Amino acid sequence: MKEVSRRKFMKYSLGSMAALAVGSGLDWIKNEAIAAPRVNTLNFHITDAIKDMGTHNSINTAQCYFWVYKEDRLPAESPGPTIFATEGDVIRINITNDLDEPHAFFIPGMFNSGPIAPGQTVRKFFTAKNAGPHLYFDNLNQPVNRAMGLHGAIIVHPKAPAPGHKFTPYGKPTPAVQQLFDDFGSTAWWPGLAWEQGDPATNTPPFRRHIWLFHQASPTLFAAVGNFTPGLDFPSGQFVQRFLHDDFSPTNNENIQGEVGSDIPRYFTISGQSGHFSHNTPYINPTFRVGEPAVVHILNAGLMTISMHVHANHFFVTYFNGVVQENPIWVDVFNVYPMAIIDYTLPYMRPPDVPNVRGIGRADAGLPAGVSGGTTWPPNEEIRTFMPGPAPAGVTPFQIVGNLTDGAGNSLGVQLSPLCYPAHDHSEPTQTSQGGNYNMGLIAGMNFIGDRNTPGAMNFPNQPLIHGPGPGSPFGVDGLIFPTAVQPPWFQEG
Amino acid sequence: MSFTSPAFHIDRISVVGEEAEFVKMFDPRPVGAGPALPERIDVTTLPIQLGANPRANPVPEVMQALGLGIPGRPHTRDMDLLNGLALPTWDGAKILNFMTIRDKDFGLGGTYPGPIIRIPRGVIVHADLSGKGPPPHTIHWHGLEPTPINDGVGHCSMEIGSYTYQFQPNFIGSYFYHCHRNTVQHFEFGLFSLLLIEPPDAYFASIGAINPDGTVTLNSIPVGACLDGRFRTAANLLTLPASIQAKFPGFIAGDPVFGVAGPNDVGVGHPHAFTVPYDVEVLWVPDDRDSRWSDLASDAFATFPVHGLTPGADDDFQANPAIQNFFAFNDYRADYWFITGLPVPTPPGGTGTIPPGIVIPPGGNSGRSGSQVSVNARVGQTIFLRCLDAAYNNIRVTLPVDAVITAWDGRALGVPPFNRYNHAYVAPANTPMTFSVARRFDALIKAETTMNTFAKVEFMDTRGNAVTATALIPFQISP
Ligand SMILES: [Cu+2]
Ligand SMILES: [Cu+2]
Repeated sequence: MKEVSRRKFMKYSLGSMAALAVGSGLDWIKNEAIAAPRVNTLNFHITDAIKDMGTHNSINTAQCYFWVYKEDRLPAESPGPTIFATEGDVIRINITNDLDEPHAFFIPGMFNSGPIAPGQTVRKFFTAKNAGPHLYFDNLNQPVNRAMGLHGAIIVHPKAPAPGHKFTPYGKPTPAVQQLFDDFGSTAWWPGLAWEQGDPATNTPPFRRHIWLFHQASPTLFAAVGNFTPGLDFPSGQFVQRFLHDDFSPTNNENIQGEVGSDIPRYFTISGQSGHFSHNTPYINPTFRVGEPAVVHILNAGLMTISMHVHANHFFVTYFNGVVQENPIWVDVFNVYPMAIIDYTLPYMRPPDVPNVRGIGRADAGLPAGVSGGTTWPPNEEIRTFMPGPAPAGVTPFQIVGNLTDGAGNSLGVQLSPLCYPAHDHSEPTQTSQGGNYNMGLIAGMNFIGDRNTPGAMNFPNQPLIHGPGPGSPFGVDGLIFPTAVQPPWFQEG
Repeated sequence: MSFTSPAFHIDRISVVGEEAEFVKMFDPRPVGAGPALPERIDVTTLPIQLGANPRANPVPEVMQALGLGIPGRPHTRDMDLLNGLALPTWDGAKILNFMTIRDKDFGLGGTYPGPIIRIPRGVIVHADLSGKGPPPHTIHWHGLEPTPINDGVGHCSMEIGSYTYQFQPNFIGSYFYHCHRNTVQHFEFGLFSLLLIEPPDAYFASIGAINPDGTVTLNSIPVGACLDGRFRTAANLLTLPASIQAKFPGFIAGDPVFGVAGPNDVGVGHPHAFTVPYDVEVLWVPDDRDSRWSDLASDAFATFPVHGLTPGADDDFQANPAIQNFFAFNDYRADYWFITGLPVPTPPGGTGTIPPGIVIPPGGNSGRSGSQVSVNARVGQTIFLRCLDAAYNNIRVTLPVDAVITAWDGRALGVPPFNRYNHAYVAPANTPMTFSVARRFDALIKAETTMNTFAKVEFMDTRGNAVTATALIPFQISP
């Protein structure tokens, strides 16, 4: 029997999960959380691609046509690569329009290429400012060009924290948000690391952040745009009407040819991926220990409202559409309107409703429990549970439930470690692909690979090699773009 | 460059080496009789005694003492899923199919929404859940944060079969529970209800004596109230202006740094630390239904994919063992609306009013009496409003009175230590509040003058933000 161990995380290297760091850089950018190569100039082509979506395979065509911002050194993908910069950096950018109608590259409050004619190249530069998350997109023929895939995230890191304070992701944090980031790692209730603090001994990067860039794709409508008269803009009013309100069809599982079904979106993505491909990758899914707070930058490039819910930890809403929050509420779900940019700050506390001594939401000692002589935390019996199939050889399970195998008899059992939680849109129609296939839609997660605050629990089994947001590919591309990930000494498998 | 001659092709990522993870994502498989609960605490032997740590959940025994039923296992809730229910629409034009949760010990049949679960903070909860009819299912305790297997998400752990969920609610506030299998369908079809975490002495306070056979005898404290005889919930009013604090007498503060614990986080402070009393509880669960889905996809297996012999290569994403050719769970178009199970009598685009005087019976409310849907209070009373958006729409709520927003999503604003970064705030009368699916707010309202008016809930399409329907909820304050 082949051993299929959990979460090898080897292949999530390409395209939308790729990142580029520009400009002078500071210490923050030299960490593995970013792991992005430094570039002096961004070279983009505005072009197009056919993409195999999450449910595509040899017997099922699930494709969609996109317009893409392709950086010369990275594979084609929508969204474009995440760009990391530091406040004050001067970024040179060359953009060539390979499509048939005018296009642009626009960052609100920061940069506007203006219309770029078909075949034309513009060479410009701009200064990174307004520390925080930003969306770059094509602002022509709104919202068609953006919705067709011409968008990406640019994250501007502050140059320095306020004197006497710790870093936040912002240049001008409110007192409440500054207090939160000052408290991480230095108060009795947020033990562990500060956000700005890493730990080489555990391969934990400082400035832990992930990007969840939402998009919704209609294969039939995007094909219609791709087939439209060359040189003419597709009518934006018609696009919006068909995207949001096209006639109901009971069947939307047809392929890209678009002969059947409604123009309502059928693919719902986070950073270009969905289902397994967004949920089970540490480039998208925060994968840290208790005591390692992280920030998720959420951007919605689509046209639908998303209600993004995180399991395992309530998060602080620290940033909303350009405004650092005066009253950062602590919630488990929040509304993400079209074009919204919102930060979820995850404290990475122990999931607080695990039974413990006082039952008041503290990381108290666990209660005696189970048949193995342990306590409720860390949940060692749960961690040694496999389902829905057998454990690989050499692992002593607490229990095995189910006997699911593939056609070759390989076990499809999964170990319940690291601790896996989902994060998903609670406006559930986006949890689908091709009109059904639940859980192949807009879903990320929040994983725990250990607990730095409980002695002996630093590392749960099956930790991934890397932390997001990519690339950090072990394979590399050109040897220049992707540094080779070195297996850290604490890596355990099985 | 065009659709017919694109410059690039973007491959789907390979799943080689991750076949098990990939398959589990969409085909987690029910596990029949169900797994053993890891880290199991034997709740049947735990005391139902405030001050004991750990202590068991007293709610089943209190409900038994009210004559509502008999718990099958001590201190344990026992429910099953997927009890079919067909309800005619308000206009008689359709029959809507519901999947419901049945409270096996304390209810007959399934209800929409399901039974409201209330639990005092800090007890060890056991909830036995089993599937009825075709598996699989799970229950997710939305907003509570236990270990993954008790979090109830199929692809992260398993699907039931049957299973005993175990957790210990640690924050007072408003939550809900729902099926997390094919959630797009099962949550829509009614497999959910409110889950409310009460102060630590609620329910215990109503127990006068524990009898030798394990049953309890009640005293005169209303079920659900605290030791001082008042209904309470979590809040921190200290950051509000004194004039507003004065409207809500009986607020008890706690340790200014450590909150509900004593100084320096030692021990546990006053059981009412950072709670405020109220007189009238109001529960709003705005929801909607798409009758097309009810007509075309009422089978619980609709659109389930099946893994292939070579995962990643030949998985059947076109499989539909239930009903041929329904693949429209991406396209939601509400045409019927509800407030806490009450139909909103309006066609799409219109306005409907729910009846006055609606009170939730104690059988479906964990033994609690008097919780209202349509508001009916007296001048001088404090109203506590909990509102959950269970629709696949955004909702815009407009109240006819000033409200103090005390919590979102079960986290009381301003309560130290974890939530000292924010504060309760006043939402002025007639100011709309818009929020999205699954969000909950808690609000304190002082009834200061007589009123005979309405609160308004507008449902707004997540595709385009148009108002799809408006519900008016009677809001009556009498002398
Ligand atoms: Cu969920
Ligand atoms: Cu939920």
